[in-house]
Amino acid sequence: MNRERAPWLGSRLILLLVVGVVVSGCATPPASGDREAMAEYEEVNDPFEPANRGVFTINRAMDRVVLKPAATAYRDHLPNFIQGRVHDILANLRAPVIFLNDLLQGEIHRAMQTLTRFMVNSTIGLAGFMDMATALDMDDHDEDFGQTLAVWGVPEGPFVMLPLFGPSNPRDTVGMVVDFLTDPLSIWATNTDRVWIPVSRAGVQAVDNRAATLDLLDDVEKSSLDFYAAIRSLYRQRRADAISNGRGGANRPAPGIGEIR
Amino acid sequence: MLFNFVRRRALPGTLMVVAMLSGVPAWAGIEEGADSFLRSLAGKAVQSLTQAETPRNERIKRFRVMFRENFAVRSIGKFVLGRNWRRASDAEKKEYLVLFEDLMVVTYVDRFQRYAGEALMVVKARAESDNIATVFTEIERPGGAKPIRVDWRVGTNGTIYKILDVVVEGTSMSNTLRSDFGSIVRREGNQVSGLLEALRQKTAALKAEAAQ
Repeated sequence: MNRERAPWLGSRLILLLVVGVVVSGCATPPASGDREAMAEYEEVNDPFEPANRGVFTINRAMDRVVLKPAATAYRDHLPNFIQGRVHDILANLRAPVIFLNDLLQGEIHRAMQTLTRFMVNSTIGLAGFMDMATALDMDDHDEDFGQTLAVWGVPEGPFVMLPLFGPSNPRDTVGMVVDFLTDPLSIWATNTDRVWIPVSRAGVQAVDNRAATLDLLDDVEKSSLDFYAAIRSLYRQRRADAISNGRGGANRPAPGIGEIR
Repeated sequence: MLFNFVRRRALPGTLMVVAMLSGVPAWAGIEEGADSFLRSLAGKAVQSLTQAETPRNERIKRFRVMFRENFAVRSIGKFVLGRNWRRASDAEKKEYLVLFEDLMVVTYVDRFQRYAGEALMVVKARAESDNIATVFTEIERPGGAKPIRVDWRVGTNGTIYKILDVVVEGTSMSNTLRSDFGSIVRREGNQVSGLLEALRQKTAALKAEAAQ
């Protein structure tokens, strides 16, 4: 075959491969006659389940080899004081994005909270080194663009297990991208060719987050029959809780009373 | 289906309207009842389950007793199994509830141990119907970290109170278990027997690990 045709063939092959992966990674919906099964399939909302499970397996392997050992060493060997300071600095760096999303959601009171915390911690708190705001009884909270989209009425969409980043969905993935694009430090760093800054920050953030969830995730893994399904459910519930700022939950289905014996 | 509608929607709503119109705080009673039930349970649990010298199997025994007494195990188990409960034979239902209780006890006795040192603060109680209320609590954490929100959904028949669900930072124990078990049943061709086998293996593995 002559050289001019080869690249075209190559990209066709890649397209076939991608389609193949996508198709084989899709779940088979139940027979349309079984209404209950269809309802359950739609409630689970995980049409890419086989592909997602594949990514989950890979993520777990990477976690086992890289992230978990790093987070365990971080938690067990770094002095608590230093861990606290790292956490506070990272939290303070997130304040601008949190402030932006507080405003976009129309949460003026929370926006003022975030702004005050940022001012206090960046000044008296020595650029976020110490969380003086909490010491002064100012509550902290987290926000991101995924939550803003939810507040604006965008549905979450099907479950997606992202490589590296873990459980997500189309709305939250878009949210993460926008968060990066609206983060002042990341904007400055990419504009001044200092890509190592957002990359190292993301790495430290990952270790900090992982260290905080070591016992919890071990526990879930140990006690669940289907770890993937448990993670999927927990992710969705945590997001719903974050989106409603802890206020929601009355509409969640729950065991009924039956007879109390 | 109409009966269910009446039972679930129209009846509680009507009761509430009647209560409001008659000026009787019909639900204040259940809120106080649920509140004191949880406080006393927390006290008993800390006393009986957190002494360092108690060997683990003794703690498991005590935990099982407290669990059976204070959790609506059958209601929770039934909810967790979802639509598959109807499909299960009586023998399967029986074995399922035994295995379910085993899994709960072995899982939660260790989780409890981890948080037992911290203080449980009851924030408030809120009735959602004439026999169900939610008690909102927080677990204080050392080092000034934000307290963990734990909501307890409690049901009553008037005198006895039982826990129906535990919601930690927005994650409901029953809903998570329902997703977990549901996935296994679907994997096993919608057979409850498949779930039972998975439960048998899991509880056996957890017990073996604990025995080491």
